[in-house]
Amino acid sequence: MKKILFIFFMGFFLIFSTLQAKEFKIGVAVALTGKFGKAGNLVKDAYTYWQEAVNKKGGIKVNGKNYPVKLIFYDDKSDPATGAKMIDRLINRDRVDLLLGGFGSSQVFAESAVAEKYGFPLISGAASSNKLFQRGFKYYFSTLGKATEEVKGCVYAFANLKNKPKTAAIVGADILFTSLACEGFKKYCKKNGIKIVHYELFPMRLQDYNSLFMKVKEKNPDVLFVGSHLLVAMRTIKALKEINYTPKGIAFSYGPTVPKFVGDLKGDAEYVVAASEWTPNLPYKGKVLGSAKEFAANYYKKYGRMPDYVEAASAGGAIAQQLAIEALGLTPPLKDRDREKIAKWLHSHTVNTFYGKIKFDSDGANIAHPALAIQIQNGKIKTIYPDNVKDANLIYPMKPWKDR
Amino acid sequence: MKKLLLILIIFVLVASLPLFGIDRYYMRFFTYLFMWIALAGCWNISSGYTGYIDFGPVVYFGIGSYSTAILMTLLKIPFFISIFAGGIIALIISTFIGLPTLKLKGAYFAIATFAFAESMKQIILCFDRTFHVKFFMGSYGITLPICNNYNLFYYLMLLIAGIIVVITFFIEKTRFGLALKAINESEEASQMIGINTTLIKLSAYMISAFFISVVGGIYAYWVTYITPDDVFNVHKTVQMVIMSLIGGMGTLIGPILGATFLSSISEYLGAEFVENYLIIVGIIVVLVILIEPSGLYGLKKWKKYLKQTK
Amino acid sequence: MKIFIQTLINGILIGGVYAAYSAGFSLIFGVMDVINLAHGELLMLGAFTAYWLFKISHIDPYLSIPIAGVLLFLLGYFIQRFLINRVIEKPAIMSYILTFGLHLIIANTAVKLWTHDFRSITTSYSGANFSILGITIPVTRFTTFILAFIIVGFLFYLLEKTDLGRAIRATAQNKKVAQLLGVDVKKIYALTFAIGAAITGIAGASISPFVILFPEMGLSYTIIAFCVVVLGGMGYIPGALIGGIILGVIQALTVTYINAGISVAITFILLFIMLIFKPTGITGKGNV
Repeated sequence: MKKILFIFFMGFFLIFSTLQAKEFKIGVAVALTGKFGKAGNLVKDAYTYWQEAVNKKGGIKVNGKNYPVKLIFYDDKSDPATGAKMIDRLINRDRVDLLLGGFGSSQVFAESAVAEKYGFPLISGAASSNKLFQRGFKYYFSTLGKATEEVKGCVYAFANLKNKPKTAAIVGADILFTSLACEGFKKYCKKNGIKIVHYELFPMRLQDYNSLFMKVKEKNPDVLFVGSHLLVAMRTIKALKEINYTPKGIAFSYGPTVPKFVGDLKGDAEYVVAASEWTPNLPYKGKVLGSAKEFAANYYKKYGRMPDYVEAASAGGAIAQQLAIEALGLTPPLKDRDREKIAKWLHSHTVNTFYGKIKFDSDGANIAHPALAIQIQNGKIKTIYPDNVKDANLIYPMKPWKDR
Repeated sequence: MKKLLLILIIFVLVASLPLFGIDRYYMRFFTYLFMWIALAGCWNISSGYTGYIDFGPVVYFGIGSYSTAILMTLLKIPFFISIFAGGIIALIISTFIGLPTLKLKGAYFAIATFAFAESMKQIILCFDRTFHVKFFMGSYGITLPICNNYNLFYYLMLLIAGIIVVITFFIEKTRFGLALKAINESEEASQMIGINTTLIKLSAYMISAFFISVVGGIYAYWVTYITPDDVFNVHKTVQMVIMSLIGGMGTLIGPILGATFLSSISEYLGAEFVENYLIIVGIIVVLVILIEPSGLYGLKKWKKYLKQTK
Repeated sequence: MKIFIQTLINGILIGGVYAAYSAGFSLIFGVMDVINLAHGELLMLGAFTAYWLFKISHIDPYLSIPIAGVLLFLLGYFIQRFLINRVIEKPAIMSYILTFGLHLIIANTAVKLWTHDFRSITTSYSGANFSILGITIPVTRFTTFILAFIIVGFLFYLLEKTDLGRAIRATAQNKKVAQLLGVDVKKIYALTFAIGAAITGIAGASISPFVILFPEMGLSYTIIAFCVVVLGGMGYIPGALIGGIILGVIQALTVTYINAGISVAITFILLFIMLIFKPTGITGKGNV
């Protein structure tokens, strides 16, 4: 019975939507469950926030008329093959006008391949593996920079100090994004003359970090760089405290910007540095979602938490696509050549948003963005690099655990 | 005989679907379905009849994926030869692994096969870095040449699924199948009447390994990008086991029923509510075990029973 | 030299932690021949009991230990009595699959209730550690290490010196004879599972101060429990300690002297080799 009703409604909806087309349908395949379920839900929240803000004003304005946005989310279960399938579904079954990207390099890799095949632009704000940009795709865009470049800010923040660190250890989880982040750390340490005394990747199955960090402690580097997601970052802090090891500085590729990090680790999170591509206090603004500060404040009002940079990057991507639609004067339902126009427009224009300037390079990466670094000071996230946008100075060295 | 005819008819219908122009999404859905029918069917061959619960079949999937990927990218060997080579590699490895592991019973066999699969995954993950080579590419994964031919994968997976069904059919009809079932009933008794249980078990294990590997190779080319975490993932083993179980272990159509059933509810529920889907699968598994261990296949018993009581 | 000793101590400590949460698994297998694939979920529930009591009522996780024990005892009893008991007479595979179904249900219901969030308990003594002769020993881990001995000791006492224990051992050895001698086998099984679950829940609460908690955490712990219990001998309770410590030490040594990736690979290779060559474990006292 349920199946029949389902088919009936699907059919009705399909007919209804092709006749009406008074709205833009945008599809998203994103990890709502599985190991990236947490982060994927952040991306979903970001797109939903953008959608509601746009729809409150009536929708996307094209040629004097307002077209509301409808978002369709499908769970890719943190699995690339499922993600690819969902993109197929969005394009062929739900007949979406456009797409937006999911979370995680592996998933986005598969999803963007399908999108490319159908000529659908895919802008992601939550995947940064270098491999994504090495495929010669014309329809893949990312508001984030490449993983190896994202962490640049962290290294420079330390390297620019008068008493700059001489040695560093680089450790990270052996999965795509984090291993690339470690490559990035290595590249920029070398560029800045910081000697790498230890470089090691570990499988996610590793349960006990103590022995691993004991090795690092023995080599006594000035700074510890960690290629991490939230789980790895949290485990690292706990381990470092237990083995009583405080390097002079720690930087994570991802984790500390998620509110849970400070929330649950409290004082232990203090002085931690992390890579970022956006913070609320930056002097960015755009016409769709206002200024960075306004975005953060409204986001807090809606969700009870501050947005982290992946959420900002995702919303930023949605805006870029919206601006392309508006500039080109395209109305739904979109045709293939409309989408081709959008892709070309995105490649040739720079847009200003609350997320900052977005300019897509020929390979799809966002090159208008400096890599930032933040530090947790007094439980708050402070931008410490680059100098022209920082709102606090890097505190170096860190206070040892025992003295806090 | 009627059963086989029915399957043949469905096979022909399904094979002609692309000619009627079904959309790409459905083609993908069906290709997936055929893949799972093949995989569940392979597991059924090695474990469904003998009752030797293998918890590590995904290792051959991964071996097939990586063999195909490496042969195609490093040695530029054509696709069809690569997947076949992958199958041969799996055949060889399964001989060496099968012999010692099949001596174990029950839980120990299950854990040992699982341990082997996990070992393989971890080795491939850290191999390059430990030995300073650029071979398996670890967490960076391997990117295969792009192939956009939906039809190719549709028919290939359908073909393999078909082959597995045919092999299972022959297993059921021959003494090989009887021997497998006899081993399930009592391995000692089987040995006493002269069945070379080691050879029989190993044969089923190797056949299964070969085809799982071939499917893994096709999968690699289909998804274009593989990582150890994807192709050696224990969740794939879990799927194979559950599909076979829910459909009916040790039967011809059990894996087909189970794969179809699970894929369908996964489609309707799983796209947006995966936790609900997994909870429901868990409940179904529990119910199957408690009420009807022969799975969906066993439901036909109930039909007969209901008919009788009328 | 100091590195070697520190590594060894690290390994022994983590080994104790492994033993603490694997003992329950061993007990259940030893007595009932059931591989409880939902083992990790019992641990997870124990850990979350401590977490929520901490978050909501600010109860120290160590004080939650008895509460976790009681809750998991009841849950374990219920699971055995109404679910697992129905398949105990049937081929063993049914119990694995049943407990696997339970694993799916419990883990995913937990995700629905508590979301995928990663959680951590930070108390005043989090990360506290002390040094002896230059060797650093984390306090919370050490506590769980001691707890492992208490658990094993308790089980040993229970099984060897009490009537209940004798009934359990009798049932484990020969169910039919035990029944003939008047043992209520169903009740014994339920109690055994309940005790195993309670111990696991207690271990879960005790590790909550130093691990990161999330609803799907269970599976990784179940996998380690396999390794520990196979190494030490399935069903042989003191084997959990032996297996745990050996595994912990090997892992620590390989991380320090080779690399982390190899240490994880070796864990599984070791498990595989043990099963092929000596399924009864290093002690040789496992049930086969």
